Amino acid sequence: MNKKFLYLTKLSLNKKIKSKWFYVTNIILAIAIIALVNISSIIEFFGGDFDKNTNIIVVDNTNESFELFLNNMNIYNEDEKLSITKSSESLDSIKENIEDNDLIIILNHDDVEYLKAEIISENTIDSLTYQIILQALNSTKTTVGMIQTNIDANILANLSKKITVDRVILSEKNSADENMNLVMSSVFPTLILPFFMLIVFLVQMVGGEICEEKTTRSMEIIISNVSPKTHLISKILASNVFVLIQSILLILYVLIAFGISKYMGASSELVDLSSIIDALKTSGIMDKLYIIIPITLLMIIISFVAYSLVAGILASMTVNIEDFNQLQTPIMLISMAGYYLSIMAAMFDGSIFIRIISYLPFLSVFISPTLFVLGQITIFDMIISVTVLILFVYILLKLGLKVYKVGILNYSSGNVWKKFANAFKKNE
Amino acid sequence: MLEVKNIVKKYGNNLAVNDLSFTVANGEIFGLLGENGAGKTTTFRIIMGLLEPNAGEVLLDGEKIDYSKSDSIGFVTEERSLLTKLTVQEQIEFYGTLKGLEKKEIDKLLDKWLEKFEITSYKNRKIKELSKGNQQKVQFISAVIHHPKLLILDEPFTGLDPINVKLLKEAIIELKNEGCSIIFSSHQMEYIEDFCEKLIILVKGKAILDGNLQEIKESYAKKNILIKGDIDIDELKSIDGVLSIDKEKGEYVVKIADISIAKKVFAKIKDKNITKYDVVEPSLNEIFIESVGGIHE
Repeated sequence: MNKKFLYLTKLSLNKKIKSKWFYVTNIILAIAIIALVNISSIIEFFGGDFDKNTNIIVVDNTNESFELFLNNMNIYNEDEKLSITKSSESLDSIKENIEDNDLIIILNHDDVEYLKAEIISENTIDSLTYQIILQALNSTKTTVGMIQTNIDANILANLSKKITVDRVILSEKNSADENMNLVMSSVFPTLILPFFMLIVFLVQMVGGEICEEKTTRSMEIIISNVSPKTHLISKILASNVFVLIQSILLILYVLIAFGISKYMGASSELVDLSSIIDALKTSGIMDKLYIIIPITLLMIIISFVAYSLVAGILASMTVNIEDFNQLQTPIMLISMAGYYLSIMAAMFDGSIFIRIISYLPFLSVFISPTLFVLGQITIFDMIISVTVLILFVYILLKLGLKVYKVGILNYSSGNVWKKFANAFKKNE
Repeated sequence: MLEVKNIVKKYGNNLAVNDLSFTVANGEIFGLLGENGAGKTTTFRIIMGLLEPNAGEVLLDGEKIDYSKSDSIGFVTEERSLLTKLTVQEQIEFYGTLKGLEKKEIDKLLDKWLEKFEITSYKNRKIKELSKGNQQKVQFISAVIHHPKLLILDEPFTGLDPINVKLLKEAIIELKNEGCSIIFSSHQMEYIEDFCEKLIILVKGKAILDGNLQEIKESYAKKNILIKGDIDIDELKSIDGVLSIDKEKGEYVVKIADISIAKKVFAKIKDKNITKYDVVEPSLNEIFIESVGGIHE
């Protein structure tokens, strides 16, 4: 029996891995991930209007503001795509020679507001450039105002400095709430999305294969040689091993993508890794990784088993792939709810509803690690979630196998849920 | 030897199999007949160990059938139980391995069977690309490649032309001669008559007729008289005990209530221009219709 179980598992796994769709999907995934991570480099490689430098020609009628403006522009203009020059030519002469990428800024003295400016261009300016110029002008105006009101140079320097903030949160678990919000908004949706995708894969693979064996009536022959339990577990094992292989490949694609990005010396990346790592370090989450990683992995493995068990049991009741597609919709909706709730957890800090949901099987795998990272729950809550999950899988195995045993031989076209109930009763 | 002892299977209030018993000796072909929904599939599933009976037991060579015995059983289902995306070789390797054979052994036996059924060229073709008849051959090979002790054939000739029916019949006879116990089910009674020495007719899960085919026929009171020549149909119909007169293939088939009526019929036609007068047993088909119909009435 052991030999037959291994054979069924190997066959099921080979069927998935040796299929041409596996290769096609992975080629597309690899290309998409590499392209996504290096999207800035790709856009820059093809070039376009965004690539052109904007020339700012400053006419300083105040004779004292240009240097200040230039300093401020150098602070705000981080990507250095704006070149600033002072012109002493007449405005009419500058206007005559103005080009598409040129901007004229006229700085004028004002008795009341200290500094006024006029911006002249051939076309509209992109909003980012406009904002930078406005910020620089505002700062220049403040400085000009302070000089004109004779404020001491030291005071002026101190006033111009950025504010120093000492952040103290008394509760230890919330030590870095603000940093975590940054992580949640940028990293978590990216990390959870492939996980959600893998659950979709898993449900469709387990269910689809069982459904195929049932509709082709091969099930009777298979089940006459191996027990329904052996059959179901072989499908679950094969699909989970496949998902594991697919996960490793996804991680590999991401590493390759970042490797390419580093090799090409990309100036900007879609995901700013260093700022994320800094945020994680500041938050103190790095110190908890030794707890988070094993417990999250355990939760993922058990949840995958739970999802595939349910998919297998539901597929056993169907007689065609259309029925199965309908039956898998609730599973998809549940996992999607988990995905969105995990993203929303950062927005609803301390929500009792989300905390309760984090204990529920199927959803806990998305929400529980998120809440822990956010400092909203403790490791004890995560252990409760894992325990509930283990109990759920145990009950599912006990009761589900009874349904599965009857379901796989049931070809009646009646209501699926009614069949489900009948199958359960038959085994009682 | 297969022994089915007083098996009962209920689905809720519905009695699918009702106290069914029969035995199939080694090297014997046994017919299991019944209209749709009579309980044949449930009986097969109980024999295969797929369903647990509510009462009774099934023994193969004196031992209860479970997964330790499944390697000794072959099953050709009524619908083609094939994974259509696999090739012929993959399909047979799949079922063969589930029957406990090694890949090398399967490949060796496979070539022999493919040659026998004249489908060697389809070895690497996908099942879905084959004709219904060839798919049926693949299903048969899958069921017998492990040389089973018990073979269940549920409508094995579906989709086959006469030449392929002959090929399959020869293979079945060969298995029988090698000592395989065979249970055969078909709606085509001529196949049952060709093959089976013993049979059982199921109606609503209960055996209403069972035993040796010849004995069943002999014990069946109604007979047929085949007459060729000029006869007065109305005159014959007036005889008490003549049930019906039909003309088939140039001769009259006179159905009579029992053998004593044959003399009365002969007395009426002996002076007429008659070239054939033959009293024969009714066909299995007639017995089946009569038996099943009688229960329904």
